[in-house]
Amino acid sequence: MIKIENLHKTFGKNEVLKGISTEIGQGEVVAVIGPSGSGKSTFLRCINMLEEPTEGKILFKDQEVTTQASKIQQIRKKIGMVFQHFHLFPHMTVLDNLTYAPVTVNKMPKREAEAAARELLKRVGLEDKEGEYPGRLSGGQKQRVAIARALAMNPEVMLFDEPTSALDPEMVKEVLDVMKSLAQSGMTMAIVTHEMGFAKEVADRVLFLDGGILVEDAVPAKFFAQPKSERAQAFLEKVL
Amino acid sequence: MFKKTHVLLTLVLLVIFSLAGNVLPGQHQAAAKEKHNKTLVMGTSADYAPYEYIDTAKGNKIIGFDVDVARHIADKLGYNLVIKDMDFNGLVPALDAKRVDFVMAGMTPNAERKKKVDFSNTYYKAKQLIVTNDPKIKKIEDLKGKAIGVQLGSIQEKEAKKIADKVDNVTIEKRNKVPDLVQEIMSKRFNAAVIEDGVAIEYLNKNPDLSSFVIPGSASAGSAVAFQKGSDLTEKFNKEIAAMKKNGELDQYAKKWFEPKTEKKAEKKSIVDFSTIMPSIPYILKGILTTLKFVVVSILLGFVLGTILALFKISKVNVLRWGADAYTSIFRGTPLILQLLIIYNATPQLTGYKIEPFLAGVLTFGLNSAAYVSEIIRAGINGVDKGQREASMALGVSYGSMMRQIILPQALKNILPALMNEFITLTKESAIIAVIGTTDIMRRAQIVGADTYRYFEPLITAGIIYYLMVMALTVLGRMLERRMSRGD
Ligand SMILES: Nc1ncnc2c1ncn2[C@@H]1O[C@H](COP(=O)(O)OP(=O)(O)O)[C@@H](O)[C@H]1O
Ligand SMILES: [Mg+2]
Repeated sequence: MIKIENLHKTFGKNEVLKGISTEIGQGEVVAVIGPSGSGKSTFLRCINMLEEPTEGKILFKDQEVTTQASKIQQIRKKIGMVFQHFHLFPHMTVLDNLTYAPVTVNKMPKREAEAAARELLKRVGLEDKEGEYPGRLSGGQKQRVAIARALAMNPEVMLFDEPTSALDPEMVKEVLDVMKSLAQSGMTMAIVTHEMGFAKEVADRVLFLDGGILVEDAVPAKFFAQPKSERAQAFLEKVL
Repeated sequence: MFKKTHVLLTLVLLVIFSLAGNVLPGQHQAAAKEKHNKTLVMGTSADYAPYEYIDTAKGNKIIGFDVDVARHIADKLGYNLVIKDMDFNGLVPALDAKRVDFVMAGMTPNAERKKKVDFSNTYYKAKQLIVTNDPKIKKIEDLKGKAIGVQLGSIQEKEAKKIADKVDNVTIEKRNKVPDLVQEIMSKRFNAAVIEDGVAIEYLNKNPDLSSFVIPGSASAGSAVAFQKGSDLTEKFNKEIAAMKKNGELDQYAKKWFEPKTEKKAEKKSIVDFSTIMPSIPYILKGILTTLKFVVVSILLGFVLGTILALFKISKVNVLRWGADAYTSIFRGTPLILQLLIIYNATPQLTGYKIEPFLAGVLTFGLNSAAYVSEIIRAGINGVDKGQREASMALGVSYGSMMRQIILPQALKNILPALMNEFITLTKESAIIAVIGTTDIMRRAQIVGADTYRYFEPLITAGIIYYLMVMALTVLGRMLERRMSRGD
């Protein structure tokens, strides 16, 4: 589904990603973990070109993303993204947040978009909030709306950048539950997270980044039981 | 929600275009009847009674000695007469720019003017008077150490200079208009003014405090009609003037307008008396529409242009950024009135296009306001959370849609108070378009002042109108703010 070859990213003189290569298969759920500042967000944001790679290639379904600046909008439509701080549109109702992109970008008839949006809101358990403005929702509710908003575009891949890090502890579960059911439905997902339990349970593979290098790439059972690198061991000792 | 704003926008635009449609052609005054199929445009400055002025209690027609003579001649020559009112100082430039075919404004031919325009023979000879409210000033020598006022660029200015050569310590003060001179005398800022007899008569009639005497040996160059250099109208007018002098018609008009009307000899009026300008208030009120149209069109132009400039300022293209910054710098760094006069007077000179006062005003204010609005909007856009942009991009939303529907609406909410401030400033500043003769509230108040010889009342009336308009804008702003903060 997604192929990443020798990905480099430099901010000024700061080389944040130092040649990362990996693949994410159809229906695969990949957890990206690593210490803060290791380049996880940058890695994720390169996949949909929110950051422009300095070097290397990214292929989405065999199309090269990196060289197709003009087609990037077409590709982004197929890649949903969920941010740590939600970034809902505060001047629109929940329903409008969900229908905005399908109507504006995909020219979907408004009515059809609304029906689909209500379906999605039901899926994330917020069918009674469609007329609410984001400012009146709790963090957990906001993040569920954000997930629904991304899903409204019918993406083939979903990227999550620490979706629960900004939430109060009691709201983490409701968001993780939505993500879990999404994973079970067969969605291809890349998730940057500090929720090790969730990664262990839901992910098919774990990518461990440190200092801009992909240090380990393993199935969760193996990774969490006996990480190969010292760096991963040190990291796990701290977070577990 | 988007639909609603679109409908609203369409409505507003519709209203503006329909308004703009009927206001664009300045303030022409058509001839009484369209008798002939050719038209002559006369330029004048309708605040110089009894030569030309507006009897604001009765309507907005320009009347006076010059108007009668002009109409008589135009009729004889087979033309309809159209009168364009403007500032006296704008008359010669207007001839230059071919905005008008001839100028009659009690204008005396002097060497300076003759360099630029041709004059007819004089049709009326005036004497120059010293007008004063100081009973001790009875002859030229009494002016020692006094301040005397004259109309800027007039023949009286020369006369005053001659007096200053003869008498010690005379200061000469210049004003744009004769009514201003009288007002300055009344408020004791000047001790006296040099005013032509025909003009002074009206003031002397209405104002028992004023006295006058003829300046001995004063130049009586007389009023003449001004034309473009080389115009074939000059000869035609000369022939008609000669004929009117011969058959006494000219004298009759002079009698009609210049003879003192004794029954008017007024009793002393109270200091503030709104009843004298009551009949003229509707005339001032009509200016609201002009000012409103002007303000609305200018605000919209400024807003649209300002938004575009703001987008340039945040763009990655250097040329656009520099261009927009330079634009802002220039429009913020020079006086608004200078910009107005450049656009109004220099456009015809440079391009030959005779830009109408309303259009020139709207352009100036729109362009000027855009500079300020663009700064406000830029700050607003920068104030919107970066995440909004990223979320839109991640959804595949185009730059245009993102700006229009995601970023700008949020920016607008934050900058609404600043924008409202800018609109209020524009509304008040709009009063300066009076200088190019647009009959807005301000200009109408000035015309009423010139007609009734009272200044406090019409100016206060104008002040109240402006204040109410600003208050209405303020309330509108608060309502909008409340509406926009629904989501919080
Ligand atoms: N837009 C940017 N400009 C400059 N430096 C950046 C930018 N984004 C991230 N960085 C730097 O890149 C490094 C990695 O950041 P990030 O990918 O956010 O790490 P992580 O998500 O793993 O915490 C950090 O040192 C950060 O300061
Ligand atoms: Mg991060």
